[in-house]
Amino acid sequence: MISRGLAAIGGAFNGLAFDVGGVVMMLLKILRRCLPPRADGPETWANLYRVGVKSFPIVLVTAAFTGAIMVIQSGLYIKQYGAEGLLGWGAGYSILREVGPIMIGLMFSGRVGANNTAELGTMMVTDQIDALRALAIDPVSYLVIPRFIAMMIMLTLLVVVGDLTALVGGALTGEVLLGVDTRVYFESIVTLITLQDFLSGVYKAVAFGVAIAVISCHFGLTVRGGAVGVGRAVNNSVVASAIAIFVIDYFMTWAMQ
Amino acid sequence: MTLLSALGPGDPMIRVEGITKYYLGATVLDGVTLDIPSGSNLGLMGPGGAGKSLLLKIIAGLVEPDQGRVLVDGHDVGTLDAHKLAQLRFNIGMVFQNYALFDSMNVGENIAFPLRQRGGVPEEEIQARVREQLALVGLPGIAHQYPRELSGGMKKRVSFCRAVIPAPPLLFYDDPTAGLDPVTSSKIFIHLRRMQQDGGTTAITISHDIDGIKPICDRFALLDHGRLVFHGTRDEIEASDDRLVRQFWDGFSDD
Ligand SMILES: Nc1ncnc2c1ncn2[C@@H]1O[C@H](COP(=O)(O)OP(=O)(O)OP(=O)(O)O)[C@@H](O)[C@H]1O
Ligand SMILES: [Mg+2]
Repeated sequence: MISRGLAAIGGAFNGLAFDVGGVVMMLLKILRRCLPPRADGPETWANLYRVGVKSFPIVLVTAAFTGAIMVIQSGLYIKQYGAEGLLGWGAGYSILREVGPIMIGLMFSGRVGANNTAELGTMMVTDQIDALRALAIDPVSYLVIPRFIAMMIMLTLLVVVGDLTALVGGALTGEVLLGVDTRVYFESIVTLITLQDFLSGVYKAVAFGVAIAVISCHFGLTVRGGAVGVGRAVNNSVVASAIAIFVIDYFMTWAMQ
Repeated sequence: MTLLSALGPGDPMIRVEGITKYYLGATVLDGVTLDIPSGSNLGLMGPGGAGKSLLLKIIAGLVEPDQGRVLVDGHDVGTLDAHKLAQLRFNIGMVFQNYALFDSMNVGENIAFPLRQRGGVPEEEIQARVREQLALVGLPGIAHQYPRELSGGMKKRVSFCRAVIPAPPLLFYDDPTAGLDPVTSSKIFIHLRRMQQDGGTTAITISHDIDGIKPICDRFALLDHGRLVFHGTRDEIEASDDRLVRQFWDGFSDD
């Protein structure tokens, strides 16, 4: 009984070590192929387009509601202390630095990362990856690099666009629910929010994009065991991405305060 | 036809030395050793799960063995650097058991892929060769369709076209006629033999259609539970008194 429990714990640690090691290896493989940078042009464009189109609508909706929720949450105090002039700053500061990148990163991982793992995993179990290798094509250069570039660029763009959407969503909610004039709201953003607030969110977006790309590719390219294996890999990929997002966020927040 | 270097006289094109592979504690290939002379076609037989597909992948350098080594054209596949390995692979065409067609490309793009990847072939010629290949396997005019729209037998034939279109000197077929009707099946086998006779290709053909490979292969091997039960020429297999060999070759079961 005890030995079986220990074996289970050992197995779990083995699995964890395999995946952490695998993700690091994947990152190294990608970096090695990025120096000098060469990527399959058409594949990269196709991925940029796909990733963007797939995630744009959901990110806009998420962002607009996030902004609105931030404003509603601060509404109580705003009213209580009559600090209407701080509403834009309060909502904007947390959106730009924290909530925007995290929410959008999580949505992105659920949408694009999961899809990527499923796609690569299916290619794996149907021998398409082996077929590429048999044709002397390196799957990392041909499949992973374009996805890596697309995810990194697109998540960064999405966070920038999402930030703006969230601020607008917050402004509308402030106007309608709290009666805070949009001009007052934006004035406080312009005067109190610094470029650094905005940039630190953007840096996080870049890091999240890298993490989601590397993790989703690792889990996709290590799938074993048919369709069931693909399902399991997608699951693990999303969970691992979420954990990575929070851990990275913790360290970056700490480093950039 | 030499690939990367000249072989010594009498050296086999492919040499498999003591290949052993474990999966999850089970031995799925157990010390497999065999030679394939240049220009011959080895018929690889064996019950389901015997390790045929795995052996083929190891020979192609797609899976690493736990023990043993594979020499192709005198080169140890396991120790080639990336550049040499790529060069070697330009000389290999492979039909996978489960087709392995690229989902994201249509049939024409799939078949043209090896040519486009290698470069140097003008686009009109690529198109013409794709049409010619499809006609040869009895599937004219499906170039614009996607793999998901095809039946298993159709996918198998498309996969065959993709493997043979660059006319590689080495061809590995994993059950090239599975799921095909007898007429199409014999068409494929005839095509396969013609490539070997005219082009001097060296081939490995895994098949459960023993009567189909009898006329097109000149050497035969039988794998059972990861062990090579038999390996030799046609005369040798006809003379063998191994029970499993007789069952496969004569096509009966005595239990
Ligand atoms: N990735 C893997 N993980 C674990 N076991 C595997 C894996 N690949 C193959 N095996 C095992 O290796 C053995 C050989 O499989 P292989 O696919 O080579 O058989 P086969 O001779 O081609 O069978 P068939 O005639 O049905 O195609 C099987 O017992 C299979 O369970
Ligand atoms: Mg097989």
